[in-house]
Amino acid sequence: MIVAELKEINEIRKMIDRYEAILVVGCDSCVAECAAGGNRETMLLAAALKLSYKKDRKNPVITEACLDRQCVDDFIERIAHLVPEHDVILSLGCGAGVQALARVYTDKPIIPALDTLFIGETEMRGVWQENCLGCGQCKLGYFGAVCPVTRCSKKLMNGPCGGSKGGRCEVDPDVPCGWDMIMRRLEAIGELDRLKEYVPPVNWATSHSGGPRRVVREDQKP
Amino acid sequence: METEPTRIVVYHCRNLRLFDAGEQKNFARSMPGLSLVAVPCSGKLEAHHLLKTLAANAEGVLVLACAEQACQYLEGSKRSHKRADYARKWLEKLAIEPDRIEFVHLPPMDLAALDRVLKEFVTKLESFKGTLNGAQAG
Repeated sequence: MIVAELKEINEIRKMIDRYEAILVVGCDSCVAECAAGGNRETMLLAAALKLSYKKDRKNPVITEACLDRQCVDDFIERIAHLVPEHDVILSLGCGAGVQALARVYTDKPIIPALDTLFIGETEMRGVWQENCLGCGQCKLGYFGAVCPVTRCSKKLMNGPCGGSKGGRCEVDPDVPCGWDMIMRRLEAIGELDRLKEYVPPVNWATSHSGGPRRVVREDQKP
Repeated sequence: METEPTRIVVYHCRNLRLFDAGEQKNFARSMPGLSLVAVPCSGKLEAHHLLKTLAANAEGVLVLACAEQACQYLEGSKRSHKRADYARKWLEKLAIEPDRIEFVHLPPMDLAALDRVLKEFVTKLESFKGTLNGAQAG
C-alpha cells in the first residue's frame, strides 16, 4: 500500500485560505490503512479546519466526502455533484489520487493535504514500514521475499556489506540488517542455494529516471 | 448584563450508570449550557467527534469513562483516553487551549463526582479568554 502522512495544518491553511468553499475529499484505501487519509482522518481534518477558521473568526464552507479510491475514475465521479458548489478540492489521497482528481475535475484547483511517502506494509498497529521502492525489476524470489533494495541501507544485491553487528545495520542500529533477514529467511525455507546465483545490479533506468512509468495491458483496455 | 452560560458537551459511558430513566434531562436542565450525550462505551468516541463538537458550538468537551480495568469492552476506556489526548494535541497545533477537552475516569453512579468535575471544568473554561469563546461555528 501507499503510505502517507498529513501535512502540517499551517501548510494546508496557507494553500486553501484564499477559497471560500472547500471540499475535503478522503481516500478509503491505502491512506486509510496508514491512518492518514481515510474516512476518519477526513472528518478529523474537516473538523480541525472548521475549528481553525472559527478561531480566526472566518467562516468558509467546509464539506467532507470520502471516496473508496481516489485513483479510479468510477469512484472519483461519485463526488461530481459536490464539486461545482466548491472553489477547491483538498485531497487526502496519495499523489496519484491528487492528480487523478485534477484530470477529472479540470476546472478545479486540487490541493494535497498529505505527503506521500512510500510503498509499505503495516508492521503493527500504528507502525508502517517501507518495503518496496517500485524499482521495476522485482528479485524477491532470489532473496526469500525480503527486498535488498529497501531493507538494506546500502541497497546491496549480492550479499551483506560486513558492517552489521548482531543483526543490526551499521548505518542505523535501530534498523535490522536487510541481509541478515534475507539469510535467516532463506535458511528457514531451505533455499540458501538461491544465493549462489548472481543477481545483476538494479537497472535504475526503469525506475524514477526517464519520466513517469506506465503499465499497459491491452487485454484490460475497453 | 446577563452572561451567556458556558456551553459544555459531556459524553458519558452508559456503563457508568449515572442517570436513572428520565434523570439525564433533569440534570442537564439544572445547568444551563450543558448537553449530556450517553454513548454505549467511551471507546466509541473518535478524535474527530471531539473536535467537531468544539467546531459546532461547544466551548468545552468532557469525556467521562469507566476505570480502565472496569471497561465492559476491555479496551474502550483506554482507547478513548488515547483519542482524547490525540484531540488535545490537535488543539495545541491549532493554538487553541488543549484543556477544552477533558477526559475523566469517573466512579460509576457518582453524580456528586460529576457535579464537582463539571464545576471545575466550567471555572477552567471561563478563564480562557478569546479563542473559541463567542466565535461562530465554521
